[in-house]
Amino acid sequence: MGSIRVQHVSVEYPVEGRGMRRILNNIDLEIESGAFVSIVGQTGCGKSTLLRLILGEESPSAGQVLVDGKERQQPGPYCGYVPQKYSLFPDKTVIDNIIFGLEASSGSSSSLLNPARRKRMRTFREEGLRYLHHVGLHEADARKYPHQLSGGMQQRVAIAQALILKPPVLLMDEAFSALDPGTRSGMQRLIKKLWRESGTTIVFVTHNTREAVCLGTRVIALAKDASGERGSSVALDLGVPHLDFDSGEEDLRCLIREVESAAVPVPQDALPPPEAKPASVYN
Amino acid sequence: MSFLRIHAQPGRTTSWILSWFLFAAGITAYFYVSAQRHRDNPDDRVMPTIVQMVQGFQEAALKPAEEEEIQDGAAVQGWPARVRSSMLWKDTTATSRRFLISVALLFPAVLLGLHMAMFPYVGAFFIRFFQFFDKIVALSLLPIIFIAFGIDELSKIMLIVIGVTPTIILDTFNLSKSVPREQIVKAFTLGAGDFAITYRIIFKQIFPRVLNSIRLNLKAVMLFLFAGEMIASTDGLAYRIALLRRHMGMDTIIPYVLWVALLLFLVDLGMNLLNRKLHPWFQEI
Repeated sequence: MGSIRVQHVSVEYPVEGRGMRRILNNIDLEIESGAFVSIVGQTGCGKSTLLRLILGEESPSAGQVLVDGKERQQPGPYCGYVPQKYSLFPDKTVIDNIIFGLEASSGSSSSLLNPARRKRMRTFREEGLRYLHHVGLHEADARKYPHQLSGGMQQRVAIAQALILKPPVLLMDEAFSALDPGTRSGMQRLIKKLWRESGTTIVFVTHNTREAVCLGTRVIALAKDASGERGSSVALDLGVPHLDFDSGEEDLRCLIREVESAAVPVPQDALPPPEAKPASVYN
Repeated sequence: MSFLRIHAQPGRTTSWILSWFLFAAGITAYFYVSAQRHRDNPDDRVMPTIVQMVQGFQEAALKPAEEEEIQDGAAVQGWPARVRSSMLWKDTTATSRRFLISVALLFPAVLLGLHMAMFPYVGAFFIRFFQFFDKIVALSLLPIIFIAFGIDELSKIMLIVIGVTPTIILDTFNLSKSVPREQIVKAFTLGAGDFAITYRIIFKQIFPRVLNSIRLNLKAVMLFLFAGEMIASTDGLAYRIALLRRHMGMDTIIPYVLWVALLLFLVDLGMNLLNRKLHPWFQEI
């Protein structure tokens, strides 16, 4: 559960008066179940588009995206999602945000006066509080509204909200980009810990190379295809970093330099052949 | 001239004085001109004095309406009974009834706007029609409405519905569309279906803003209601104002106008308080 296959995917958008603009060009990726994959690349290279394709929010112009072997037509509970902003429902308290998925999935719309529903809600709340503690928040935060929380706390709640349904895949789109460095570092450690515990496949989109390298068990760089379609991006699988937050600074710097150099425009002949598995830059 | 700067910060007392200044200036100017006119002509009816206005309002609020006197013959005892049989009470209840029915009819418009925004086929079906409909000046339809619906209550309510609902529909449509797409995607990933997202996510989020939109449109509702009452009615606040105009009854017209403003202000205040109470998470004023 949680494998993703992106097969020869291209995405084009119509641009007014200028025909079609290709964003992604023949992307071919296989993400194995339980992996933590960082997708890194410059702004506008199509990282979020790739994420929307996996979510089923968008359809590719060519190729197909399979999650657990199925092509998805719209987002669903098979994929958790933590965006950079607007991840919480502002009209619901923290605990109601966390258990929203449990309620929605239970599909019950019966009255709160119904004893069976009340009992179920109590169970949901207990489960919600467990997840709240799990992401490092306190019971006192449960009754707060999202606007009463800091950015970091909001993202903690968003992660709990997504993980409570135990989705096979968790997609995170620049989830920590708006946080200050201290909070960001704490969140990175938290997500890595949660990933180890849950075994969920995580696809983590970021433009921060250091974050990508430290978090991912595999880093994929989206680079502008300099010799192909103007402005479109190709995917470079950079393999397994084998590094962590505690790795030596020199090793990290070296790796970051390599990933950054891979994520800048590359000539077509430098790209790996479509069928061959690209060699890891770390091997 | 430091007080005209962007960074100027008026104190609490100064702000209070400034906020009431135009009221005080307007009232003072009115009574000054009124006193001048009454000095020149003691029978002046255009600008009644404060005493005349208080008398006019007392008569409207405490004396039985003409039709009541004719029906009952005897004078009504006790002031609550006198208020209930008064012209002002009867007019206020008649106008309020129409007003409340009209406001209640705005809620189906809210639901229609919500569904137009959430379900693309519903949106495609209605949007162009309402964008055009919104541009029709409702008052220009008045003769058609009176011919089609007669001159009773229905025509007055239809005038308000035609005048205000397209605005509310389009406003709700825009508010629903402005909810970030991430929220919808997130709700789908949490297992919510189309209707759960429509009602439990989008409607709940936009409802305080919809209430604000209705608050801002209350004056338009009242405007159309007054137009209807002035042209074809036998009771109501606007009917009375139009009737008194014929007799130059400014001593009652001015208190009536202030009474209508006060009622609208109270409805607006009540809705605002209700909005804050129901939606403690809502930040807008």
